[in-house]
Amino acid sequence: MVSAERNAELGLLLVAAIVTAGTYSLASLGASDALPANIVPFLAVILALLLAAHLATRRLASRADGLLLPLAGLLNGIGYVFIARLDEDLAGLQAVWTAVGVGAFALTLLFVPRVRILERYRYTFMVAGLGLLLLPLLPVLGQEINGARIWVSIGPINFQPGEFAKLALALFFAGYLVEKRELLAIGTLRIGPVLLPELRHLGPVALAWAASLLVMILEKDLGSSLLFFALFVVMLWIATERASYLTVSALLFASGAVLTWSQFGHVQDRVDAWINPWDDPKGSGFQVIEASFSLAQGGLTGTGPGLGSPDRIPVAETDFIFAVVGEELGLFGATALLMAFLLMIGAGLRIALRTDQPFEKLLAAGLTALLGIQAFIIVAGVTRVLPLTGVTLPFVSYGGSSLVANYVLLALLLRISDDSAKRAERARASARAAA
Amino acid sequence: MNTQIRRLGLTLVVCFAILFVQLNRIQVFTQNQLQDNPLNTRAIIRDFGAERGIISTLDGVVVARSVDVGGQLERERRYPEGELYAHVAGFFSFNFGPTGVEDVYNDLLAGQTTGQRFGDLSALFSDEDRTGNLTLTLRDDVQRAARDALGERRGSVVVLDPRDGAILALWSWPSFDPNPLSSTDLDLAGAAYDALDFDELDSPALAKAYRRAFPPGSTFKVVTAAAALASGRATPFTPVFPVSAGYTPPLTTSVIPNFGGSSCGGTMTDGLRVSCNTLFAELGAEVVGPDPMIAGAEAFGFNARPPIDLPAPEASSFPSGFGAVLQQNAVGVDIVEDTPGLALASIGQKDTSATPLQMALVAAAAANEGLIMTPHVMAEVRDQEGMLIEAYDPSVWRPALNGTDAEQLRTMMLGVVTSGTATGLQVPGFEVGGKTGTAQVVADSLDTHAWIIGFAGPPGEPAEVAIAVLVEATPGSGQQTGGAIAAPIAQQVLVQALQPMVMAQATVEDPPG
Repeated sequence: MVSAERNAELGLLLVAAIVTAGTYSLASLGASDALPANIVPFLAVILALLLAAHLATRRLASRADGLLLPLAGLLNGIGYVFIARLDEDLAGLQAVWTAVGVGAFALTLLFVPRVRILERYRYTFMVAGLGLLLLPLLPVLGQEINGARIWVSIGPINFQPGEFAKLALALFFAGYLVEKRELLAIGTLRIGPVLLPELRHLGPVALAWAASLLVMILEKDLGSSLLFFALFVVMLWIATERASYLTVSALLFASGAVLTWSQFGHVQDRVDAWINPWDDPKGSGFQVIEASFSLAQGGLTGTGPGLGSPDRIPVAETDFIFAVVGEELGLFGATALLMAFLLMIGAGLRIALRTDQPFEKLLAAGLTALLGIQAFIIVAGVTRVLPLTGVTLPFVSYGGSSLVANYVLLALLLRISDDSAKRAERARASARAAA
Repeated sequence: MNTQIRRLGLTLVVCFAILFVQLNRIQVFTQNQLQDNPLNTRAIIRDFGAERGIISTLDGVVVARSVDVGGQLERERRYPEGELYAHVAGFFSFNFGPTGVEDVYNDLLAGQTTGQRFGDLSALFSDEDRTGNLTLTLRDDVQRAARDALGERRGSVVVLDPRDGAILALWSWPSFDPNPLSSTDLDLAGAAYDALDFDELDSPALAKAYRRAFPPGSTFKVVTAAAALASGRATPFTPVFPVSAGYTPPLTTSVIPNFGGSSCGGTMTDGLRVSCNTLFAELGAEVVGPDPMIAGAEAFGFNARPPIDLPAPEASSFPSGFGAVLQQNAVGVDIVEDTPGLALASIGQKDTSATPLQMALVAAAAANEGLIMTPHVMAEVRDQEGMLIEAYDPSVWRPALNGTDAEQLRTMMLGVVTSGTATGLQVPGFEVGGKTGTAQVVADSLDTHAWIIGFAGPPGEPAEVAIAVLVEATPGSGQQTGGAIAAPIAQQVLVQALQPMVMAQATVEDPPG
């Protein structure tokens, strides 16, 4: 039976492809007054990749949500156009990474026929997650680039293990919290007004906090640190349904943040650049100020693709890709991008709400939170709502690790969605049979 | 768990709403503030590095063009003729912006006018070269003749076509090289800028020809004569003034002498020919009177900035009042508190001052049936395909005097060249009119400005050229008379300007970089 969901997905994917190709053509017209020479192969590659992803869902997850993949394709496509506009060489690499990402997406669907089978590997995921997280700290392998030690080099390949660590940790948290949620929800230890569970159950909580501090201090990666901790806290809160964890965690994070702020110059620089970038406009404030100028240049409707000067922002293709979109597509384009993320968040949380399996529910919520919080952290950094912390804008920024990891994340969400839809279908079928 | 998941969703929606609000703040509410921030060099860099059309003379000599130099600023403006056109074309500085034609016609040169931007459909989507090439009204041969004739003397030469106001040459010495100012080497540009002392009155950067007013001396007698004709109280042959060596205006004992202590008198025609101070002082003070003199001067454009298409033109000035009316004389002219001042102003002294451009326009009025056409340096702008984008549309700036009076004035000025102080202006085969001027700068110094104004054309036809030459007084320059010093310069330039224009050979492109 051909699912209506799949047909909708196919239609939306075509829309994403058309929007991407259209923007690509406009960017080329803007820059060189000519349609891109490679527009036909370009369109063919986009359609092929999106179609491949679509066929993977059609075959392997036929009942899955139909909105997520087209949204990811749209973000990926728009991101690609602006990367190509900034740097042709990076665009070529990004295209390869997109192909790898789509491959990883299909393989995840293929090798994970039921999300539940992942539950039993929770401690493996913990070890893998922490290992990946701390991998850049190893001598020789670890590389410090632009002040953050988050890279690992094996031979010619550089990657950011943190991007995969966040998936492993989300899987671990989901498995662990489903197992312990009742214990964690019962308070036996009273500290002032706060009722806490037994200390041995709190061990992993402390471990997560320590790991996130470690990441912040040793890898100087504020964004990932915030992301991991937020992920953990959100999942803990959802699992236990106890808001006190939010309070305690927030206090823990705040104290950790103040501690690192007082001890580390690079953290102070970031905060100073956030509070008043104009104090050091050529130094620590430069990126944020240039991003503001870039966005202001764009105004309501943008300069038009290819017509702005976003190349003036350092690392425009990764951390600041949002400012590039804001300059050339304006407030309208930037808002559309935010809307796309909100729609993805909505779709992800709907998947979490629909499934009746706690592990799936928790995992879906965690993965969606990862996506949403990460997008929020970087856009907030670029627009000076929060101090700037270097994380990628999911699917949009340049970066292989990020892109591949996010396609895997997407596959897991779709798998959960497919699982629960099929279970519901079977339940209805058996109910009909019983009647 | 579902409650928490819904709350998570709500929280994320709130977070994204905050981002949306902040985006509005940056992109809409503080947009202008951010764009005008001095640290925001986006617009400057874009304009500076952008394609920009060529500026060339009417006879096809390239005055300014952009060359690719690579680097962040990409392009640099080059001025192959160096200082020759600096006061007209200006320069295009990264730090200080454009000046001259580069400034006034910036949008056309950069292709930023609405017509250029939306001229065709593909222009909507692209930044391709829609720039305009601007042709000046200036003729390279005339401009060169002006420079060569003036030589290294402080002064100015303005040549224009009285029939349409087109400037043929506009030269002041000293001038400056606009190339270093427009350099992408910003240290070099800054040093060149500082070296020019822009705020100083005698800075080489100041285009004195239209931006500095000097005492016009006896060249102003042309204006007084015009006012006299317009007043109806005088004709070229009436009244007849007594021959005199000195004139004492009413209400004073100070005597206005003639140049070199000579005696002169007779008709206005005679007076203009020999530049008779006593005659014109009396004419202005006691025949024309204060209000008609003011009206006459203002009809020629005094006390107003000429609407030339160059930045910051200076207004020439004539006193706007001479005090209360005390009595009327026998011919009904007001005698006012400062009638002695009026007498001096009528011969171009006291508070009368004029730019060389203004005095060229005075000559032009006499030659063009009394009409002063709006002076301009832009002839036309064409796009890169040679299609006309804009052509200058000549217009009348001031109807200075009526046609009959203008013809009488013209005839009187012809006399000055045939047998007066301006015989040095004669060009064989052409009808030339003019008036000299020698203006004392400070009371106790002999140093004088030497002036000449004039017009020339084929006999019996409207004059094709009007000119003003000023050689400034410099300390120790002594008594430079217009006839001896300025006339030969003007004559040399007129000879060139009366030649038919020859298009320049296409110049070989300089190698880039």
